[in-house]
Amino acid sequence: MRSYGEVKREILALKLLLIVIFGGQVLFSCETKERASLPDRVDFNYHIKPILVQKCYLCHGPDPGSREAGLRLDLADGATKLLESGVTAIVPGSLSKSALYHRITDSDPELKMPPPASNLELSDLEIGMIKKWINQGAEYQPHWAFLPPKISQDNLEAPMATQIDVFLQDRMKENGLAQGKLADKYQLIRRLSYVLTGLPPGQEAISRYLADDRPEAYKSLVDNYLNDPAFGEKWASHWLDVVRYAETKGHEFDYEIQGAWRFRDYMIRALNADIPYDQLVREQLSGDLLTAPRLNPETGQNESILGTLFLTMTEGTHSPVDTKKDEADRIDNMADVIGKSFQGLTIGCAKCHDHKFDPIPTSDYYALYGVLGSTRFSPIPVGNFKEKHAALQEVHQLKQQLREMVGSTWEKPTSDSVPVLLVSQTQSKNTIQQGNSGRVLGDFRGPNFQGWKTDGEAFGVGTTLGEPILDRQTGELTGLKKGMASSRILGKGIYGALRSPDFKIDHAYLGVRARGKGGSIRIIMDNFQLISYPIYGGLDQKVNDDEWQNYVFDVGDWVGHNVYIEFLPGSFVRHTYRQEPDAYIEVAYATAFDGEWFYPEEGSRYSPVSSLSQAVNRYNEGNSSAADVGFLNQQLNAGKLKHHFPESRKTLLGMDLLMATIRDTVFIQGVSEGFARESPIFIRGNHMEPDQQPVPRGFISEILDWQPSIQGPGSGRREVVEAILHPDNPLTTRVMVNRLWYHVFGKGLVETVDNFGLQGKLPSHPELLDYLAVKFREEGWSLKTMIKAMVMTEAFQRSTTVVNGNIDPENTYLTHYPIRRMEAEAIRDAMLFASGELDNTLFGEPVPVHLTDFMQGRGRPGQSGPLDGNGRRSIYLEVRRNFLDRMMTTFDRPTPFNTFGKRDVTNVPAQSLFLMNDPFVAEQASLMARRILSDEEQTTEDRIRDAYFRAFSRPPSPSEITDAKKFLASVPTRKGATGESDSDAITIQAWKEYCHALFNMKSFIYLL
Amino acid sequence: MHHHKPLLNQRLSRREMLNITRCGFGSLAFMGMLGSSCKSRDKQSMDFLSQLATTPHYVPKAKNVIFLYMDGGVSQVDSFDPKPRLAKENGMDPTFKIDATQFNDNGKILQSPWAFKRYGESGMAVSELFPHIASCVDDLALIRSMVSNFPEHTNANYFLHTGSGLQGRPSMGAWINYGLGTENSNLPGYVVLDGGLVPPGGVDNFKNGFLPADYQASIMKTGETPVANIQPDSSMAAFQKDKLEFIQKMDEKDREKSDEVEAAIKNYELAYRMQSSVPELSEFASETKATQKLYGLFDEDPNTRSYGAQCLMARRLVERGVRFVELTCPYQKGIDRWDQHHGLKDGHERNAHAVDRPIAGLLKDLKSRGLLEETLVVWSGEFGRTPFAQGKDGRDHNPSAFSMWMAGAGIKGGAIYGKTDEYGYRVEENPVSIHDLHATILHLLGVDHKQLTYHFGGRDFRLTDVHGNVVREVLI
Repeated sequence: MRSYGEVKREILALKLLLIVIFGGQVLFSCETKERASLPDRVDFNYHIKPILVQKCYLCHGPDPGSREAGLRLDLADGATKLLESGVTAIVPGSLSKSALYHRITDSDPELKMPPPASNLELSDLEIGMIKKWINQGAEYQPHWAFLPPKISQDNLEAPMATQIDVFLQDRMKENGLAQGKLADKYQLIRRLSYVLTGLPPGQEAISRYLADDRPEAYKSLVDNYLNDPAFGEKWASHWLDVVRYAETKGHEFDYEIQGAWRFRDYMIRALNADIPYDQLVREQLSGDLLTAPRLNPETGQNESILGTLFLTMTEGTHSPVDTKKDEADRIDNMADVIGKSFQGLTIGCAKCHDHKFDPIPTSDYYALYGVLGSTRFSPIPVGNFKEKHAALQEVHQLKQQLREMVGSTWEKPTSDSVPVLLVSQTQSKNTIQQGNSGRVLGDFRGPNFQGWKTDGEAFGVGTTLGEPILDRQTGELTGLKKGMASSRILGKGIYGALRSPDFKIDHAYLGVRARGKGGSIRIIMDNFQLISYPIYGGLDQKVNDDEWQNYVFDVGDWVGHNVYIEFLPGSFVRHTYRQEPDAYIEVAYATAFDGEWFYPEEGSRYSPVSSLSQAVNRYNEGNSSAADVGFLNQQLNAGKLKHHFPESRKTLLGMDLLMATIRDTVFIQGVSEGFARESPIFIRGNHMEPDQQPVPRGFISEILDWQPSIQGPGSGRREVVEAILHPDNPLTTRVMVNRLWYHVFGKGLVETVDNFGLQGKLPSHPELLDYLAVKFREEGWSLKTMIKAMVMTEAFQRSTTVVNGNIDPENTYLTHYPIRRMEAEAIRDAMLFASGELDNTLFGEPVPVHLTDFMQGRGRPGQSGPLDGNGRRSIYLEVRRNFLDRMMTTFDRPTPFNTFGKRDVTNVPAQSLFLMNDPFVAEQASLMARRILSDEEQTTEDRIRDAYFRAFSRPPSPSEITDAKKFLASVPTRKGATGESDSDAITIQAWKEYCHALFNMKSFIYLL
Repeated sequence: MHHHKPLLNQRLSRREMLNITRCGFGSLAFMGMLGSSCKSRDKQSMDFLSQLATTPHYVPKAKNVIFLYMDGGVSQVDSFDPKPRLAKENGMDPTFKIDATQFNDNGKILQSPWAFKRYGESGMAVSELFPHIASCVDDLALIRSMVSNFPEHTNANYFLHTGSGLQGRPSMGAWINYGLGTENSNLPGYVVLDGGLVPPGGVDNFKNGFLPADYQASIMKTGETPVANIQPDSSMAAFQKDKLEFIQKMDEKDREKSDEVEAAIKNYELAYRMQSSVPELSEFASETKATQKLYGLFDEDPNTRSYGAQCLMARRLVERGVRFVELTCPYQKGIDRWDQHHGLKDGHERNAHAVDRPIAGLLKDLKSRGLLEETLVVWSGEFGRTPFAQGKDGRDHNPSAFSMWMAGAGIKGGAIYGKTDEYGYRVEENPVSIHDLHATILHLLGVDHKQLTYHFGGRDFRLTDVHGNVVREVLI
């Protein structure tokens, strides 16, 4: 008798054999008795590489760190070179000279490859495959996904749907498979409605479609659903899985991610408007950097900038002891999600070492790390961008006019020729001046921001230096303003930030001279945002005093850390940014020092000579120094300059009116541009062990080897976007069309939708995938066009009935449409639809999550949300990382921590228990019963028919009607409740049980 | 040769699985919670094949694990690691280098308010906090040299539970069920008995992460409704069976359409059975008075009674083949778990009183029933506490040294492993990491931690990441 181990090995060998034959796409089944044979021509990508990746690359792959014997088998050069041991692994065409062949067939366990200790083993078929490959010349080919998609020109003629069917039918023929028949209209409309909108079809739509005999009936149905706003809701939910969408930061207290839900709405709007995918890529990675952002045609909202929530939807820890590690974790998550979402690459795997399988050296990881590290988190105001921008533009111009009005009257000052002791512009060019007991980080008493960066519009384009101070009633000029950075330079209530360049803490204290109302000064260390007690509380100080004060930050514990300073007119409350309408902040200077407060001299006062005419000239040129302004004020006080400007009153009034219309009150957590900061490699991924040299910024430079490294002052996100959207990028289009295909057909052409690297699956239909990728770009990146082409195919319209005689157990070749379990959202929405309770309002704040006793822990909201989620579609239910909706979780909506492009479909008792016993399901059943009973004219049969349309989008069969009647009659009357004579109550109870039973039938949660 | 029936099951395809389970209602395997179903769903992937190719078995010592999670971090120098030097230097400034702590409000050396005594044949020293556990020392293997990577609860909790400080990774209970499956088809394989305190980091401490949802913990409470949705609407409970039969009848036409549909139909039969098997767990009437007393069910402290009920339920769960049971601490008003940043004496005393008798009861009860031989009991917090005060009378977090113990299957009773410095602040000898602890637990279950992998996002993940050494010194 054979041992279990032997049997197991045989089974395993058989499985591998099948996998190899069918390019990894085929279901293993013990019953399959097929004998495998070697292909005529062994293909490197399809036949050999899967073996090498799984069995050899761990020690002979791209990662030099784990490479043995100096042999790498991922490259032809490596495989065919003479090794130190004096042998050559592969000599193309010569089996006897190829050491690899000897080693894999050696019976000596000391020599055999892979070593028995690795628990890896080559099957006879695999060995045969390698043998044949070497004999045929051992030709290497680059990984298929890293080559540009290729299509034959002939294919571009036919309509897309037709062409897709041709590709599919070709493969069916090759494999001797027959195609199935088309689905009936009921099955088809239900499927189409779910796939496109996530909702069942309405009874009216069903009747209309059934009655429509025109050849274009189906096409117009498709168009209707594509134009239904529910389309955006359904397809946005798919993208939310990819971007690890959540509305809180998880961790201990599960703080809010400010405005995260606006990303959901942004995506719904974008999909409904069919915003091209390239634009969506651009916005999600760099929506804050677009010179012409996309504006919402209705609200004037800057849509593009909402996309940047893509980056900030990471987790957040409120009190990491090591902020550097925290930053590394945040960036790691962003890098990983960027790689998977847009490129189907696991860039995160290159954090600690070169990627074991893909050509992603660890330097590529830190090249992207540099880009993300140079990107700063920032509140972003939402609202009517267009109006605000226009108003601010105008205010700015009016201010200029006032200045000119004042300055131009001084053009010929009387005491022109008298020289005075004054300043020149000879301020140090260094933004950071060295002092004895400290240094200046920024001095805003001069005209400019000294290299600090403004974000938003509150701080204007320069300091207040020389601004005329005019009395609103009289138009009297009372003086010229001193220099300071002011968030109310154009008026109060608008958002803006002023941020320093990055610098290393080298003094025990930081000091800021400031005043304000509701404003704040924050020291951002290693990009750490959730500043709070107990460790970091001191790094965020509120500025709430109209008098000038010195704000001191004790940073002695963090000497050596990389920080920047930010001034905000508002402040963070529980880690969300708030800004009152009258909030502001003004700053004179910022310093670093030890011991005593460091006061930077206004050296200018004692500086060289000027004259009034020069001072006035410079004023009119907008180049005044602080000393010029001081001197002009002197002259003004002495009555030597004109100071009566009654005509200014109108301008001032105009400005006030304009400013009164704009207020930034609503914010999201987005990003803004920092200063270019390259990162060194962290040895073995350990941030405590940085390498010596920083890595130039870039994006998967070995795969996209045509791009130069990123130079310049910005973060480099623009360049990353260019690399992703570049016509030579082989991945972007393929990855996205494959995601669409997965959602339309239930399985990707590449099954591993988030991994197109060497460990990903090979495409089942390579030519089709390439065709779609090329068309996608040609069609202007239109998602709707691609989806439409897919649902217009015959393949989509086929019945779910398996074709007799076909051997394709996984339905790889789509001879029939697969049976699919509906997604969590669709199941819940379908219940609300059936009960008539579905509220199809679009957009808005999330509905608070319904909490049960089993959902406990810190950060638990004080109140539970409604059981029925107010009848809103599931996409609007709150996504709290630590309190995920119980139903969504039970039915496999992924935990949002990383890209999850492909959902699990599990079958767990918790699902059955939920449908059997959860009060939500019972409540909806009861509401559905009442709805069905509401028309008193209807017969029982009418009602059963109504129920079937609500639940299954089809009429019941005669036997189903009989069974239903029997069931309804069998429901016992509830004792004591309303009294047995209350026939209404009895009827309602019976129908409730019946509706509840419908919800529990498999055809309710499956597309059968 | 093959000790692991569930592992054997894993080698079957789901189709085979269905063929076996098609035999009838009674023999239906627990399709959801049994590891096999998911494994086989992954059968097309290469990683599944390599998974199958491994033979990671050792002779398992333990079948089940009970994890007594001491949420908040018990002070080692007040429990299992006596440090006389603290008494000598009480009230003095620490002379050693201090790491940044979470609150950075570090005060003077603080001696333990509790005296230590030696117990048992092994002479293991235990403080007055745990007089009952002290009576079991010869069954415990004590590790005094635990270290964690995180000085802060949430990360440390994730780390202890999932082997990673980041949120979203599978918990060890999920890993173990993924590796071994459950032995009882009517109960979930991974149960968290919620005593009232979900640890910081929330239920993500107990989640499946990237493993299929089948492996997540079922959170149970002691009481009438131990699991969400386990009880049908009471007014129509009697009718439920008829309704389910009707549903099944109507589903019949779809049964043959796909394996998935068939499995979903069968799932209902299982769920129906769970409705009775789960509530039965907390029906303690069948336990003798003596047993109930042993667990502290008659104690005047309601927290002792509550934790006692959890411990008793834990025994009943492992008795019924549940693979991994974790107990969280009872909620006590006014003290925040074991996390005594101030009021060490009061807080630790009340916490200890709640768990001491029930834990000793559990160990003794398991032993007397022969269950301790196949059950591994693990007692640990996420980190320890500082030997110096926070403020006046508290202790801050200390990931650099803490004590934990294990008892039962495969454990060398009375063993003491590892050593801290004279203050109990840092480990001096034989540090044991969380990864080492995980490796050891898996080892006792017969699983090589290096072989238990799951392919996600382009990488083979392990509970122990790329670390972990089995601590053989505490094993028989």
